[in-house]
Amino acid sequence: MYLGIFFMVPLYSLARMSLSHSGGSVYLPTLEFKWDFGNYLSAFSRYQDEIIRSFFYATIATALSLLLAFPLAYVIAFKAGRYKNLILGLVILPFFVTFLIRTIAWRTILADDGWVVQALGSVGLLPSEGRLLSTSWAVIGGLTYNWIIFMILPLYVSLEKIDPLLIQASKDLYSTNRRSFTKVILPLSMPGVLAGSLLVFIPASGDFINADYLGSTRTTMIGNVIEKQFLVVKDYPAAAALSMVLMLTILTGVVLYTRALGTEDLL
Amino acid sequence: MSPTPFDHLTGLANKQTSRRRFIGSGAAVAAALAIGAPIAASCSSNDKSSTATATQSGPATGTLRVSNWPLYMADGFIAAFQKASGLTVNYKEDFNDPEQWFAKVKEPLARKQDIGADLAVMPTFLMARLHGLGWLNEINDSNVPNKKNLRPDLLAASADPGRKYSAPYMSGLVGLAYNSTATGRDITTIDDLWDPKFKGRVSLFSDVQDGLGMIMQSQGNSVEHPTTETVTKAIDLVREQKDKGQIRRFTGNDYASDLAAGNIAVAQAYSGDVVQLQADNPHLKFVVPDSGATTFVDNMVIPYTTQNQHAAEAWINYVYDRSNYAKLVAFVHGVPVLSDMTDELTKVDPKAANNPWINPPKNVLDKAKGWAPLTDEQAKQYSDAYAAVTGG
Repeated sequence: MYLGIFFMVPLYSLARMSLSHSGGSVYLPTLEFKWDFGNYLSAFSRYQDEIIRSFFYATIATALSLLLAFPLAYVIAFKAGRYKNLILGLVILPFFVTFLIRTIAWRTILADDGWVVQALGSVGLLPSEGRLLSTSWAVIGGLTYNWIIFMILPLYVSLEKIDPLLIQASKDLYSTNRRSFTKVILPLSMPGVLAGSLLVFIPASGDFINADYLGSTRTTMIGNVIEKQFLVVKDYPAAAALSMVLMLTILTGVVLYTRALGTEDLL
Repeated sequence: MSPTPFDHLTGLANKQTSRRRFIGSGAAVAAALAIGAPIAASCSSNDKSSTATATQSGPATGTLRVSNWPLYMADGFIAAFQKASGLTVNYKEDFNDPEQWFAKVKEPLARKQDIGADLAVMPTFLMARLHGLGWLNEINDSNVPNKKNLRPDLLAASADPGRKYSAPYMSGLVGLAYNSTATGRDITTIDDLWDPKFKGRVSLFSDVQDGLGMIMQSQGNSVEHPTTETVTKAIDLVREQKDKGQIRRFTGNDYASDLAAGNIAVAQAYSGDVVQLQADNPHLKFVVPDSGATTFVDNMVIPYTTQNQHAAEAWINYVYDRSNYAKLVAFVHGVPVLSDMTDELTKVDPKAANNPWINPPKNVLDKAKGWAPLTDEQAKQYSDAYAAVTGG
């Protein structure tokens, strides 16, 4: 019932809008439904750069989140002992501050005259533009930072469920640490990896705040285009078609990804 | 100067506000749809009452709801108005981006539903659009005797001859601002924007008229007679520079924090903003490019859904009193829309009276031109073409 009202009805309305043709007066156009698949073709051909860039950024941000979150979740689950709740609390703490404020704070940290840029510049590690703010690195960094919590928590939950006796048993069978990790811990944490990847990748690919505040004119993501089409250009059919393209592409990716990892626990 | 988080927050709060407001209005629209029939019924009775108040001549009573841009009001101004008029003012700084504001209100206005404002302040092109759609009430001149103080050039403006539906609030220049410590030299022309030394440190306005106007002028074209060719030529130049990585951001009002922080070396800017920023950062300069600049006028309008037309007119009349208006100008630092303001301004703020960007000399005004009124089709065509470059 709730799903019907709050998901299916808006989805139907969006799909219908994406296939409509807008006509009539310039500022009060009337939408006429006529199976206009041209909206999809033009949306894709005009904004393919932004679509590809969004998935590229989201993929890197997901991979970075996984690389950073796995050791952290592992330490919390197995090594933290009585500090477990404290560390978990510290991980969650920054997320009590709103998303927008956290992103804007990065503008100060990464400013051209800021200490981060100066420090990196002095050791010759700056990207070719000679700055960090308004680069792809800043956008990917922002996406990783803002969504990593959704990687840490599922990973922690799945790692925490692993019985330490299983790791002990693998050691008893003369397994090295590396083989214990690849043969026992990693396979058993797969539901967490999968859930975390989806929870990071899906919002990151539709995000527009990070590209807006940390990016430049050359890091525009598809979320920015959809926002502008809805609010500035007010071409609702084009915006709806872009939203549908984004949604369907993510859905296809998710299905392929879950199939590839073969985890049934999740779906 | 190293920026503090507060510099960014104050500058960027505008965007946050508009997004939040958008979500709020979405919910309001949904609620309005749910109870559409009773509202539609009540609207028809509202029609009569608003016509009745339009011709009312006694003192205004009740509450006045004003929507204005952020930082566009003087301290104590509203309190003084409330004391003088006996009205209660509900003042909201919820007007940040004209197109986003229009996207929010067009559905309720089309259905003649209240948009929560009895008076709103907006740029000329949006005022013309609302007027064209028949969504503005005529201002009753007998309730605004101070209208005689309005600058004659603004009274006769082709966008609304005689100013029947709009009352100019503040004017200003759209030019270039630069951080002299970041540029290391003076900026005088549009070509300076494309200097490879400033690669990735230039910001342009995303608005068609404010963003493209001075670029068209630098190409020898006029904003008083825009054509598809001249606008397209300017858009092509912007696209070329964007692809080269010259332009860092397309901005609305939010260029100021980047400029003050030194992330942006040269920005398209509004004169009033720069005068305000100069108080904290004397290295910031405002300049009208050699090839010319454009002017803008923000107007007070009364939407046809107003709940208190008479109070809105009392407000306009209060603003149009020269001594009241001088306080506003001294705070906002715009170019006055009333004539002969030098004396009153000198009384309130002698520095403002001598500032060329507040009281511009003739040679500056001669270089600043206003856009010709555009037809709906033209405006939409130019805006869509430019949006494709600015990231939409």
